[in-house]
Amino acid sequence: MASISIKNLKKAYGTFSVLHGVDLDIADGEFVVLVGPSGCGKSTLLRMIAGLEGVTEGEIQIDGARVNDRHPKDRDIAMVFQSYALYPHMTVAENMSYSLRLRKVAKDVAARAVTAASQKLGLEPFLARRPKALSGGQRQRVAMGRAIVRQPKAFLFDEPLSNLDARLREQMRAEIKKMHADLKATSIYVTHDQIEAMTLADRIVAMHGGVVQQVGSPLDLYDRPANLFVAGFIGSPGMNFLEGRAEKDGIRLRDESFMAMGDVPEHLLGQQVTLGIRPEHVVLDAHGQGMPAHLDLVEPTGFGIILHLTLNGLPLKVFTLDRAVLQAGPMVAVTLAQEHLHLFGPDGSRIGGTSDPAAAA
Amino acid sequence: MSLAGTMGGHTRKPWLKRLADTSEPYLYSAPSLILIVTVMLVPLALGISYAFRDIQLLNPFSGGFIGLDHFRALGEDTAFYRALKNTLWWTGASVFLQFTFGLILALLLDKPFWGRGVVQALVFLPWAVPSFLAGLNWAWLFNPVIGPLPHWFFALGLIDQPTNLLSDPHYAMWGPILANVWWGIPFFAITLLAALQAIPRDLYEAASIDGATGLQRFTSITLPFLAPTIAITVLLRTVWISNFADLIVVMTGGGPADRTQIVASYIFTQAFRRLDFGYASAIALVLLALLMAYSMLIILLRQSLLSKD
Ligand SMILES: Nc1ncnc2c1ncn2[C@@H]1O[C@H](COP(=O)(O)OP(=O)(O)OP(=O)(O)O)[C@@H](O)[C@H]1O
Ligand SMILES: [Mg+2]
Repeated sequence: MASISIKNLKKAYGTFSVLHGVDLDIADGEFVVLVGPSGCGKSTLLRMIAGLEGVTEGEIQIDGARVNDRHPKDRDIAMVFQSYALYPHMTVAENMSYSLRLRKVAKDVAARAVTAASQKLGLEPFLARRPKALSGGQRQRVAMGRAIVRQPKAFLFDEPLSNLDARLREQMRAEIKKMHADLKATSIYVTHDQIEAMTLADRIVAMHGGVVQQVGSPLDLYDRPANLFVAGFIGSPGMNFLEGRAEKDGIRLRDESFMAMGDVPEHLLGQQVTLGIRPEHVVLDAHGQGMPAHLDLVEPTGFGIILHLTLNGLPLKVFTLDRAVLQAGPMVAVTLAQEHLHLFGPDGSRIGGTSDPAAAA
Repeated sequence: MSLAGTMGGHTRKPWLKRLADTSEPYLYSAPSLILIVTVMLVPLALGISYAFRDIQLLNPFSGGFIGLDHFRALGEDTAFYRALKNTLWWTGASVFLQFTFGLILALLLDKPFWGRGVVQALVFLPWAVPSFLAGLNWAWLFNPVIGPLPHWFFALGLIDQPTNLLSDPHYAMWGPILANVWWGIPFFAITLLAALQAIPRDLYEAASIDGATGLQRFTSITLPFLAPTIAITVLLRTVWISNFADLIVVMTGGGPADRTQIVASYIFTQAFRRLDFGYASAIALVLLALLMAYSMLIILLRQSLLSKD
C-alpha cells in the first residue's frame, strides 16, 4: 500500500490544455473518488498516475518517490478499465494470473492467489472460460480479480461499473466497498455517478474543466459545497439556485421579492449573488403559511416525491417524503429553511455561513 | 363430364405448380451457373484432358490419347525433381523473408510518427510495379555492366569479383528471391497492418500495467491476434509464389543450367519453348495436386486454431 501525492500536475495535448495544475494528496489506504462532468479530465488524471499518459508539467509521487518518468510496469499499481480490457485469448484464470506469471511468481503461490481472488468474487465456475463466454457482470469481476491478485500499491478504477445495469451496479458498488474495507488498499476511483461517489468515497475530488473544485468528505461536499459548480453537481435532484442582489439583511431576488438572511457580509452589499437550497430543505406547508407557489409537475419516485414549482416566476424543485402532496391543489405554500440556505458570491464561490463546519454543527 | 374435367384439372395443376415451385430457384440461378461452368470448368477440364493426350504444336500427327504416359515420363524426369526441389527452396525462402520483413514493417508503421502517411504510401509502391518490370529492373541491378549491386557486394567483401549473381550456379536462386521479397513485402505489410490496427489499444495498456515488457506484449497480445491473419496470408502467398514464374522467366529463364528452374517456370519452358502442351499440362496437374493438398492442410490447421477460442 502506498500514499500518492500529486503536485501542480498539468497536461496539454499540443496547445490544448486538459489539466490546469492539480494538487492532491492521497493517504495510505484512502479511497478517493474523482467526479466531474464528461471531458473534465478525470480519466486523463488517472491515466497519468498509471503512467499511460506523459506528464506535461508537475510531479506525481508514489510513496514519496517521483514516478513521472517511470514505466507503468514499474509503478506497481493495478487498473480496472471501463472496457475491462480482458485478454481475449486467455482463460479467466490466465487473465488473473498474467501479472504474476510476468513477475515469475512461483506457480503454486500464483494458483493460490487466483483461487483466493476467484472465491472472493464468485468466479470459480468460470476459471476455465474465455472472456467471450462471460456476461458483462462476470467480465467486470474478472477485471477486478486481475487487479487484486497481485496486491499492488494502489488501485485505479476508471468508471468500472458504467457498463452494468442499475441492479448489478448497486451490488458491485457494495462489493467494492467491502473489498476496500477488507484490503485497505489505496484506491482512486473515477465515476460520474454521484451515488457511487457518495457511498464509496473517503474523500471526493470534484473536478470541472481540468481544475479541482473541492476536495472533502462526501458530506462536506453535500453540506458545504465550495462553489456553485459543486453545489449543482452533487445531489439529485439538484440544488435550486435563486439569483439576486445582496442587501443589508437578506437578498432581493430577481422578481423583487425579499429573502431574509442572517447577516450578509458588508463587502457583498449591492452585488450579484446566488442563493442555493436543496430540494429537501424546501418546506411545503399544508396550512398555507409561507410564500405561495404554483405546482407545475409532480414526479413520484416511489421513495419520495419530486415537485416542480414556480415561485414568483422562478422554478423551484422540492423533494418530500410526504405523500399528502399528491392531493395538493395547484397552489401550495413554501418556506425556505433559513439554516439550510447556501450563499454564493458573484464569482460563484461560497460565502461564509454554513461553510464553516463549526457553525453548521 | 364437367366434374371429371375439373377433378383432372385439380390433380394436374398442383403437380405442374409443384414442379415450377421446386425448379424456380434453379431457373433463376441457371444463367450465372451456366456462365461460371463455361468460364471456369470447361477450360479446367480441357487443360486436364491435355495431360492425358500427346499434344505438340510442331507435330501435326500428335493429339492422340496416351493415358498415363506423361506421368510415367515425369516420374523419371530428373529435371522435374530438381525443379520441385527448387520450388520448395524458392517458395520457402521468399515467403519467410517477405513475411518477416512485412511484419517488421507493419509493426513500425503501426506506431505514430511524423510523416507516416507518406512513408506508408511509399512502402506500398513496389506492389504496384508490374512483375515483369520488377524482374527486368532487378536483372539490370545484378548486371555488373550497368547495375551497382555486384560492385557493392564486392566492396563489402561478400564476393571475390564483381560478377553477375544470376549467372553463378550456386547463388543464382538468390537473385529472383531477392526481387520477389522486394516485390512481395507490401502485401504482408498491408494485411498485417490492417490486422494490427484492429487490436484494441487498452489491451496493451492493461498489459503494461500488469508488468509486461514490449516483447511480452508482442507475444501475449499481438501474436495471438495476428495468428488467423498470418495463417491465411501465408497460405495465399505460398500458393501464389510457388505458381509465380514471372520473375524467374525474366531474370534467369531458369538458368544457369536449370539451377533456378521451378516447377512453374518448367511448365512455361515445356509449353512455350518445347511447345509440348501435353507434358506441360501433366506437370501442371501434379503441381495443382500438391498445392491442393497443402491448402487443405493449412485450412484444417486454421480451423483448429480458430475453434480453440
Ligand atoms: N489524446 C488526446 N488528444 C487530445 N485531446 C485529448 C486526448 N485525450 C483526451 N483529450 C481531451 O481531454 C479532455 C479530458 O478527457 P478525459 O478522457 O480525461 O475526460 P473524462 O473526464 O474522463 O470524461 P468522461 O467522463 O467522459 O470519461 C477531453 O476534452 C478530451 O477531448
Ligand atoms: Mg473518462
